[in-house]
Amino acid sequence: MNIVRNFPAVSILLCLFAGIISSGLKKKMAGYVNTVLISIVGLLSISTLFYVLSTGEAFVYVMGKFPAPWGNEIRAGVLEAFMALFFCIIMLLSLFGGRKKLTDEVEEGKTFLYYVLMDLLLASLLALVYTNDLFTAYVFVEINTIAACGLIMIRQNGRTIEAAARYMIMSLLGSGLLLMGLCMLYDLTGHLLMSNIKEQVAFVYASGEYRIPLLVTIALLSVGLAIKSALFPFHAWLPDAYGYSTVSSAAVLSSLVSKGYIFLLIKIIYRVIGFEIFYESRIVDALFAFGLMGMIFGSISAIRENDIRRMIAFSSVAQIGYIYMGIGMGTQAGMEASIFHILSHAATKSLLFVAAIGLTDVSGGSRQFIELTGSGYRNKWAGVAFTVGSLSMVGVPLFSGFVSKLLFAQAAVQNDIKMLPALIVLGISTILNAIYFMKTVIRIYTPLEDSKYGSITFKNMKLYVAALVCFIILNVALGVSSQPIVDLIGQGLAMFS
Amino acid sequence: MYYIILSILFPILTGLYLLVRKEIKDRKRLLTITGIFLVISGALVILALCMAGNGIFTLFNLTERLPVLFRIDEVSVVFSVMTVIIFLCAGFYSFVYMKHEEKEKRYYGYYLMVLGVLIALCFAGNLITFYLFFELLTLSSMPLVLHNGSREAIMAGLKYLFYSLSGAYMSLFGVYFVERYGNTLTFSPGGVISAQAAAEHGGILLIVCFAMLIGFGVKAGMFPMHAWLPAAHPVAPAPASAVLSAVIVKAGVLAIVRVVYYIFGASFLRGSWVQNAWMVLTLITVFMGSMLAYREPVLKKRLAYSTVSQLSYILFGLAVMNEGSVTGGLLHVLCHGFIKTALFLCAGAIIFMTGKTKVSELRGIGKEMPFLMWCYTIVSLGLIGIPPTGGFISKWYLAEGALASGIPGFNWIGPVILLISALLTAGYLLPLTIQGFFPGADFDYSALKKKEPPLLMTVPVLILTVLSVGIGLFPQVFINYLSQIVEKII
Amino acid sequence: MGANLFSNYGEAVAMILFGIGFGNLLLQSNLIKKIIGLNIMDTAIYLFLAEKGYIENRVAPIVVDGVQSMEAYINPIPSGLVLTGIVVSVSVSALMLSITIRLYQRYHTLDLDEISIRLKKEGL
Repeated sequence: MNIVRNFPAVSILLCLFAGIISSGLKKKMAGYVNTVLISIVGLLSISTLFYVLSTGEAFVYVMGKFPAPWGNEIRAGVLEAFMALFFCIIMLLSLFGGRKKLTDEVEEGKTFLYYVLMDLLLASLLALVYTNDLFTAYVFVEINTIAACGLIMIRQNGRTIEAAARYMIMSLLGSGLLLMGLCMLYDLTGHLLMSNIKEQVAFVYASGEYRIPLLVTIALLSVGLAIKSALFPFHAWLPDAYGYSTVSSAAVLSSLVSKGYIFLLIKIIYRVIGFEIFYESRIVDALFAFGLMGMIFGSISAIRENDIRRMIAFSSVAQIGYIYMGIGMGTQAGMEASIFHILSHAATKSLLFVAAIGLTDVSGGSRQFIELTGSGYRNKWAGVAFTVGSLSMVGVPLFSGFVSKLLFAQAAVQNDIKMLPALIVLGISTILNAIYFMKTVIRIYTPLEDSKYGSITFKNMKLYVAALVCFIILNVALGVSSQPIVDLIGQGLAMFS
Repeated sequence: MYYIILSILFPILTGLYLLVRKEIKDRKRLLTITGIFLVISGALVILALCMAGNGIFTLFNLTERLPVLFRIDEVSVVFSVMTVIIFLCAGFYSFVYMKHEEKEKRYYGYYLMVLGVLIALCFAGNLITFYLFFELLTLSSMPLVLHNGSREAIMAGLKYLFYSLSGAYMSLFGVYFVERYGNTLTFSPGGVISAQAAAEHGGILLIVCFAMLIGFGVKAGMFPMHAWLPAAHPVAPAPASAVLSAVIVKAGVLAIVRVVYYIFGASFLRGSWVQNAWMVLTLITVFMGSMLAYREPVLKKRLAYSTVSQLSYILFGLAVMNEGSVTGGLLHVLCHGFIKTALFLCAGAIIFMTGKTKVSELRGIGKEMPFLMWCYTIVSLGLIGIPPTGGFISKWYLAEGALASGIPGFNWIGPVILLISALLTAGYLLPLTIQGFFPGADFDYSALKKKEPPLLMTVPVLILTVLSVGIGLFPQVFINYLSQIVEKII
Repeated sequence: MGANLFSNYGEAVAMILFGIGFGNLLLQSNLIKKIIGLNIMDTAIYLFLAEKGYIENRVAPIVVDGVQSMEAYINPIPSGLVLTGIVVSVSVSALMLSITIRLYQRYHTLDLDEISIRLKKEGL
């Protein structure tokens, strides 16, 4: 057995251990441990990715000595390894970008806890990505929720605690539904491992019995995960949670936590229920419809917002709508587009959050638009980065957002019924995106005559600028050389079944 | 091959360089640098035109089926040569004009970038490349509109942005369909829609084509998406409004040429409802633009409305789709480009020297700057279409083509509207000449001073005037070249 | 339908309880009542699982009298799942309670909507 086969399990365990060890470490050390941990996990994911690419098929790692129908398994394919790698990159960059802010906003004695939570979050994300067992997935969903809640709350003020409470309540509703769905699925099939469930589901479906329970199960699973990933109209907690938590938390929450749930949903679609059966239930149409509504209402709320952080948060609602629209399209191409959008949105949204904090910092800490006037000149790097992020969100060619819109539209024209609504809403939402992002860009580049704030130079924050530059490179790379990544996604989806 | 990419990248990169580098204290140095960059850019384009031949240059693949590629054909030659001439004239002109504006470095930076993007548009070899640079054009030219940073400019800039983005999205909508039903996205004379696809999906393709016409028509100021143009063009500094009004809007025309003749094909569209609807829209625009210009008191705004009207002359020619009209349309691209630049530069020179913007304030201006006003008068005659200027030739071809087209209704209503609009053109352009040279008996001549603008302003205007008259004096040279294009695409 | 419902009354009760818990968690504005709803919801799921795992006249799969036939025993996995679920629900409830305490200390109320209104007034 090749040693690489141990890597997925090892990386999950490493994260858990690092979390435990960090809780006994000093603030600085915990930070170092976290950085090293994320880098190691990234390297492990790269080697897993190359291994899977070279063998050409996914492998299964059996936890303990229990064989297939009883034991717990980990399964790594191209897409899983790639997602793990991508999550590591985004998390590392978000932490670098927000490090300075973190020391300002979190109580001195509690910073190490932040890294503990990050370690746990990474562990749960990796587990969600890799696991082949539904109940394990549920347990890690809950760990993920708890860690995310801590990340929101660690900056102590009334808003964040309230946001954390709302986030918790919504998440618990979602995971309640998810757990119910799991139990019913177990009831129907008698298995917990994804591959076994899929066989049984196909069998049950072919027999023609239990149609309604199966439908209810699919609905429970999808709605549960949709609630957790803040699909419209379950997004009420999101603007406060993203808007007031410390910046790394906001970046990580918007680009990783919700995406982890979406990835789990995609896995359930492919590996548990089966692509065809999932699409023959009409649940996808509901997801599609809510996705479309999210695209519009998220953007409209963002336009009405006067606070830059909350505006970006509302834009996340719209972007999650895009992803669900792709899933709801019911084609392989739509799914590929959705997964690509997961990547491009993660790269762009965390860039925007990190850049926005740089802009507010040079505007006396205020996040109101009126105060941001001219901030693009005071903090040049953040201004450029914010502009790049906005252009990508609007879907200007050469940036990642354009490619995902292109893929969505290409997927849409393949589906004759959903083509028109998808394209029209895509168009409207593009224009709405343009309205609020361009408004902001123009605002930050409108010169302010009496400069009452000092400007920030490169020397002040090397790490921050480095993170921004990496984000920009990531964004342009996704936009320019999208084809290899789309191929990779296609290959990964093929490995799912 | 690499000349193409060099000619595109050089202005863009030098523009970026100007944008990011530190403020240049010495104004002379800034102007020298910019001047050298402009001249080299122009030379590179000419070099690319001479050397590149008919080869295809693929830059990279956006996705598997969508390469970003460039190719030079006759249409590229026409548009790129015009672009370069106008950019050089307006560029040197702005060396004087921009003296009283702030943020000169930024202005030149974006100016160069816009030049590069326009050249890329001219050389684009397929629809996706074209779309890509079309978006970049909007973004890089917006700072020119926003330049003075006033509230009015910002509102105009936003208007420009939203109209353009909505339009570009409508076109992108079409690109998806063309990609699905067409053979390829590469521009090929006569279209890429196979007969089979046309028969099976004719209805939807026509809708798509119409959407693309409206979408790209935004840039060309076609009714119903024209409202941004009179708002955005006048707020920019005069040389910038000149290039906006003379060249950047031509990107919309180029887009429509490419879409209609190189993607859908004239034979697919001829006689369809799209052609009729398109002609109706252009005729409405021609008439409406002239009327609005006639009623507008501010000179620069008046010229902007005139652009709306004149561009639809071109689009009408393209819509009629026969040899004469298309030749006339393409020739009018050149005429209008040179004339409108000259007009805006004149208006700019008047503002620069006197600070007056309204036509009614400009009595006796011909006595103050006679040379400039002579140029103004000559190019105005050209725009109206009085021989021997170029405008006469192009409008002649347009009208003749429309008459010969045999499309019931349009074959006479078209020429009539063109004629009425020409009269209106005379009505809104010539009052300045008349008031300027013949201010009337009660006018106080003693207050007048000689105010001829500096040489760097008058020479570009003169060059453009000579060019616009030159087209009228030697039309055969141009007609022969254009007929090469027309033969291929009709 | 009716007969099915009657023979599976345990599951039916679990579902009703789940609905009650879900509704409470979603609709109550008092945080403590929300947490009670959460616990009702979770317990309902455990009831559902337990009901699924239990088969009449069989015992837990612990071999004491040498009987190894499958017919004699129930399926132990649902019970295992219930245990895991309880652990998760306890930790989640604890976290929720701690958030509640924090909020109560700051705002001296348990009403989430009122807290939101006050936050808006604070205008942070």
